[in-house]
Amino acid sequence: MISSTAIAHLKEKLGDANVLHEKEDLLTLGYDSTPGVHHLPEVVVYPTSSEQVVAAMEIAEREGLPLTPRGSGTGLSGGSVPVKGGMVLCLTRMNRILEIDEENLTATAEAGVITLDLFNAVAAKGLFYPPDPGSQKISTLGGNVAENAGGLRGLKYGVTRDYVMALKGVLADRSLIATGGKSVKDVAGYGFKDLLVGSEGTLGIITEITVKLIPPPQDKRTILAYFDDVRTAGEAVSRIIAAKIIPSTMEIMDRAVINCVEDYVKIGLPRQMAALLLIEVDGHPAPVAEEAAGVRKILEEVKAAEIHVARDAEHAAGLAAARRTALSALARVSPTTLLEDATVPRSRLAETFGEIERLREKYQLKVGTFGHAGDGNLHPTVLCDERDHDEMARAHAFYNELYEQVLAWGGTVSGEHGIGLAKKEYLARQIGPGGVQVMKRIKQTFDPQGLLNPGKIFDEGDPCTKAHVEEGFRVSH
Amino acid sequence: MSHTEPLGNFKSEDAPHYDDVLQCMRCGFCLPTCPTYALTGRERSSPRGRVALARAVAEKKLEFTPAIKEEAFFCLDCRACTSACPSGVRAGEVMEVCRSQAHAFYPLGKMGKAFREFILQKMVPSPDLLETSMLPTRLYQRLGIQWLVRHLKVLKLGPEWMEKAEGMLPRLEKPLRPQLPLLTPARGEKRGKVGFFLGCVMTLMYPNVSRNTVRVLSHQGFEVVTPRETKCCGAPHLSEGDRETARQLALFNLDLFLAQDVDYIVTDCAGCGAALKEYEELLEERAEHDRLARFRSKIRDVSEFLMEVGLRTEGLQEITASVTYHEPCHLCHAQGISAQPRRIIRQIPGVELREMAEASWCCGSAATWGLKYAEDSRKVLDRKLENVKASGAEILVTANPGCQLQLAWGVREASLPQDVLHLMELLGRALPPD
Repeated sequence: MISSTAIAHLKEKLGDANVLHEKEDLLTLGYDSTPGVHHLPEVVVYPTSSEQVVAAMEIAEREGLPLTPRGSGTGLSGGSVPVKGGMVLCLTRMNRILEIDEENLTATAEAGVITLDLFNAVAAKGLFYPPDPGSQKISTLGGNVAENAGGLRGLKYGVTRDYVMALKGVLADRSLIATGGKSVKDVAGYGFKDLLVGSEGTLGIITEITVKLIPPPQDKRTILAYFDDVRTAGEAVSRIIAAKIIPSTMEIMDRAVINCVEDYVKIGLPRQMAALLLIEVDGHPAPVAEEAAGVRKILEEVKAAEIHVARDAEHAAGLAAARRTALSALARVSPTTLLEDATVPRSRLAETFGEIERLREKYQLKVGTFGHAGDGNLHPTVLCDERDHDEMARAHAFYNELYEQVLAWGGTVSGEHGIGLAKKEYLARQIGPGGVQVMKRIKQTFDPQGLLNPGKIFDEGDPCTKAHVEEGFRVSH
Repeated sequence: MSHTEPLGNFKSEDAPHYDDVLQCMRCGFCLPTCPTYALTGRERSSPRGRVALARAVAEKKLEFTPAIKEEAFFCLDCRACTSACPSGVRAGEVMEVCRSQAHAFYPLGKMGKAFREFILQKMVPSPDLLETSMLPTRLYQRLGIQWLVRHLKVLKLGPEWMEKAEGMLPRLEKPLRPQLPLLTPARGEKRGKVGFFLGCVMTLMYPNVSRNTVRVLSHQGFEVVTPRETKCCGAPHLSEGDRETARQLALFNLDLFLAQDVDYIVTDCAGCGAALKEYEELLEERAEHDRLARFRSKIRDVSEFLMEVGLRTEGLQEITASVTYHEPCHLCHAQGISAQPRRIIRQIPGVELREMAEASWCCGSAATWGLKYAEDSRKVLDRKLENVKASGAEILVTANPGCQLQLAWGVREASLPQDVLHLMELLGRALPPD
């Protein structure tokens, strides 16, 4: 139990309004968007400056409280769930955009800035910040960096890591660090900054981020294609890539997802179709026209059931927005939406759909699949009910077998959601014991006391930190 | 949403359904749409957080604590989260149910209970009493005391809400209810017969709005039946957590309007419209299913109705003005009516519609919320007024009396130049003189 003097001390350093410890607050800051995991912290703090982060860290250290950083809690691997209780450090009140440097094409912002707010602020100056996680309206830049978030434009533009130029933050020993800078080229020493990106809050608390900006594409075409068979959609994706066309976006939704999304957005998506592909090509007008024609030709060759071109920018934006709601819309079908983040080399895409279909039949589950088809990153989602233990066990077996195949094909267990709690055992399978050992040694160097976000990425043998699927989805407190 | 089985730590009557809270997968799509989350930045004041609290009570992980009561009432019930939720969670309605739970868990003291019961169970359900109660206020305005009070600022001494309530009052005319004919004939080629559901705030505060609504309907070729017995729709009761009185009122209005020989039941109050459309759920176990379905199928907001039957624009006179439109929460979020009012505005000759940013962001009125949380309400309103100002429009149009009271007050306080009108007042101006 956290002592009352520690609470008083925190309030003194951070201000009364920035320290919460009532049960109702603890209850609502012990989850993120990952189903089935919910743990109560003992105290929640909202620092408003790096100095306050240092102060909170000092008190956590003195009290022996594990410290779990978080933003808006949109994570899908349990990265910000305080499995060991302790202190939750919520960065949403550090939400200032500090600078948009038009000479160097960079933007600097505090960790709690909402991703879309940054996108809009730089767009207002005629610049473009490409990473766009599905939750961009809600998620924070700090969370994106900590989880190395991907998104709908990952195919052509890459993920968050590809845009981070500099980071400031606080390490476990309370030192303030700054790594990277505005220089486009920088090979001085170890890639320390890159290590922090995607570290899921286990190596340090990121407080300030400088990102690279690029000029926005001058032109854009959005194409929507429907298919009678989901594997044909997968084949279309592989052939588009093989034809050396790199769309900015190539998103897929299968029938279950189309129907749930349509229930919500009501924009007339055809419910009977087996799959749809949402393809966007962007860039200079001439190549855009050429690429759009190329995409169309391939879609015709593989015999897509219908091919449409978005009427205008508004229509295209509506389609992309609809796609962003896919996961949440699936929750209409069942109370528990168990989503995974399987990613395969793109040539394997059609086969992956076949495998998902086979396993769905084998384990008798409801599955909706959507994802970033263009980068091979799929989100097969089992629609189940956490109260049904038999169903949960089948879901676990489904993913177990699917990941086995994905790894055999040279894929990865996480394309963009991170490992957190949900995928620890799969990570170990992917990188082997040696790989896990190296990661643990890095962690040891940064955080010898194991204070920062303990229980994440790799297993420490504590049953409550095992992959939640193995836990049979008990909600533990 | 009513429930008779005990659910976790909830009281058995009017508890939320477990499925309704379990459906939230905590994606956070609701967060940027929630005015109270924007105010506090505190998860428990967000829809996701509130549903998590309800779930914790349902799962016996938490008692129904005073903090939950506080959150239930701090929620504006604006339903913006419902619009934003891809999973179909209705956090606002879960909180509405929690308000009645709050009264079961924390009963008021003797005086408070008597006062609440008098207001909710005696005064509001009785149109006569309600009208009589406004008499002193009208006298107060006529005798010039209002001028004195406003200028000498004597209310600065009283609680803030009282000062605001006083400041919000428009100049009151005689209530409209006794004045409206039971049957207003259709003009021109007759297109049908509609029942008009006259709201309490409309008859008392904005008689001119509803007078225009009836004129519009009549000019559009509809015979208008206005039952004088109409009682309050029950929305204030739901908002205050008195579901039982709300049900009694709903049953009364259901019987009254089903007895009329009308094709549609039209209202010009977004709050009433939302409540009437939800009778189906409120009365789930109290009335026959097909009667509820028949009643539900007839309810239309006036803008929804006019766009459905098609607005006759011949004979409309030109109004040269720029207009911006504030979407009432109970129209856009609770009823999903967003395009229709704009289409009406665009069809009025001479009118230019200038969209404001965040048109569907709440104005901070929310029934009595704006009085109970006067300071927070002001902050929500200020965000709205900034957007109104930036639109540069001459007229600010809305479609709900609560919004109109709040916006008219805000515009006056901020010395903005806009006229604040109900959509039917604007359309009424375009009608040829009677």
